[in-house]
Amino acid sequence: MNNDTNVKLRLSNSELWGGLIGLALGGFVIWSGLKLRLGTINDPGSGYVLFYTGILMCVFASAIIVSAITEGGPTLASRWENVRWSKPLLLIACLIAFSLALEPLGFLLSSIPLMLLLLRLIDPVRWTLAVPIAVLVPVCMWWVLKRLLLIQLPSGLFGIG
Amino acid sequence: MDTLVNVAHGFGVALLPINLLYCFIGVFIGTLVGVLPGIGPISAMSLLLPVTLSGTPESGIIMMAGIYYGSMYGGSTTSILVNIPGEAASVVTCIDGHQMAKQGRAGPALGISAFGSFAAGTFALIALMLVAPKLASVAIAFGPAEYFSLMVLGLVVLTFLTQGSMPKALLMACIGVVLGLVGLDSITAQPRLTFGRMELIDGIGLVPVVMGLFGVAEVLLNTEQAIKRDIINTKITHLLPTRKDWKASAGPVGRGTVLGFFLGILPGGGAVVASFASYALEKRLSKTPERFGHGAIEGVAGPESANNAAAGGAFIPLMTLGIPPNVVMALLLGAFVIHGLQPGPLLITQNPGLFWGIVASMYIGNVMLLILNLPMIGMWVQLLKLPYNILFPLIILFTILGVYCSSNNVFDVYVMIAFGIIGYFMRKLGFEPAPLVLAFVLGPMMENNLRKSLILSQGDLWTFVQRPISGACLAFALVLLIAPLLPALRKKRELVALDEGA
Repeated sequence: MNNDTNVKLRLSNSELWGGLIGLALGGFVIWSGLKLRLGTINDPGSGYVLFYTGILMCVFASAIIVSAITEGGPTLASRWENVRWSKPLLLIACLIAFSLALEPLGFLLSSIPLMLLLLRLIDPVRWTLAVPIAVLVPVCMWWVLKRLLLIQLPSGLFGIG
Repeated sequence: MDTLVNVAHGFGVALLPINLLYCFIGVFIGTLVGVLPGIGPISAMSLLLPVTLSGTPESGIIMMAGIYYGSMYGGSTTSILVNIPGEAASVVTCIDGHQMAKQGRAGPALGISAFGSFAAGTFALIALMLVAPKLASVAIAFGPAEYFSLMVLGLVVLTFLTQGSMPKALLMACIGVVLGLVGLDSITAQPRLTFGRMELIDGIGLVPVVMGLFGVAEVLLNTEQAIKRDIINTKITHLLPTRKDWKASAGPVGRGTVLGFFLGILPGGGAVVASFASYALEKRLSKTPERFGHGAIEGVAGPESANNAAAGGAFIPLMTLGIPPNVVMALLLGAFVIHGLQPGPLLITQNPGLFWGIVASMYIGNVMLLILNLPMIGMWVQLLKLPYNILFPLIILFTILGVYCSSNNVFDVYVMIAFGIIGYFMRKLGFEPAPLVLAFVLGPMMENNLRKSLILSQGDLWTFVQRPISGACLAFALVLLIAPLLPALRKKRELVALDEGA
């Protein structure tokens, strides 16, 4: 492995970050367990299993950190090497925008733009195909769910859908 | 004699027109998701979990089971024709299956895969009929300590077999347990990790977690690279293997079936492990191992039989002990729970119609799959031509609708999107989601059984070691935990490690 893909004791080591996140989560779980009350071994409380699971998380996270320091690991950047990293980011942005728009705009007004964006932004589908798919699929799904299966989808502030 | 009466009763249930319809829908969707790369049985089952609410428990579970074993059949078509595994258990089939297709032998490859799968599926069902009731009668004697230890073993086996480092897989399992404990404590009714959100009082839903980690995250990963498909365009003929092909395949089908069935029963094992193990076994037993990788029919027959037999075997721990051995079975457990049923030792005696109906429907489903997979192969090939840039927005829309319909709650859509993003970064950093999901399902059961055992034994931890079954499970789990520390065993683990999430 070259220097970029197998680095020791560098902040860009992705294994180190994975372990540190795990350690932080483990610490939080231990704290939550303590807050919920551990009880006794004869009568374990609500936080008993959480507390010990948190300890195990810290142990495993520490093992990951130790291995990252002693054996090294790929850099964060190398995890996204030779891939179209901007595409998943675009998709994530679209999904976050959709989740923010779903309740105020309702299912139809939020899912049609989502479909159009996904069809055009990632691996562009030609407009003549993208527009009918983006409109017809959500409308058909809405019709099947609302009219046939009687499932109420969010209709938003405008009451559309 | 009892078994025959029960089987007849089962066929009575499975042959009801509504159940036949659900069985057909299940195997059809299963084949469809098996054929389509980028969407697997886990996504399809979680998408359709809410649909099971509308019918009887038998119909819903028959459909869900159909999706599972149907996807095992469908996955081989994509592996052979496109060299992309339709789902994880068909990864091995790509190696020799696609080579056979390139040599103009796609027909025999698809044929032996379908017939081998049918033979394996049939064997697994007969074995399920014979083994499950016996195991259920033994399992009645299981106490909370045994259940707890069995679940620990299941989780450890899965983490042992998961790709990447074991501490990472174990960390994922722990996170899964914690996520499973979110909501009201079943004993004290105290809210845990709810952050004041009313939506979390009932806990995090299985559907949004699975759809996020497997559906959305998979799409995010797939969009990173332009998927190129090397589809075999020639007309597929000679689906019936020749006598020579049969002779070469008979042994691999038989061995793959038996191996797959037993690996399927093991907690944490399943179809993926079985297909890899069968391929390795056939290569080792072959007098001409150099043919493997260049279109050896044994390399298709063995793994395809093994993954189907394992799919059948995996029903045993779920139906008899109530413990799902893998993520797919965890979803099936979800379907049981939705209908207020608890799979376990009493299921067969309390709900014989349900148990035997499901078993009989699986046999009918196997026959349907043989019909679907051979004469309709042309249709599946056409479907493979659907470009991924049109397919993935549809998958995203269906996952959103699937999650929303499962609870009629927008909050679950947010949860799914959040888990999709988390799942993507997890996979990028080499953390596999399979142990997390299994632990998420097993977590509350494990906690319940642990607390019950501690209360019953008055805090005596030796109860887990002194009870023979519990002690044996924990000892085996300990061996697996220590194994990666030994260099020789570590190498072996890396050879069998797999990507369950694919």
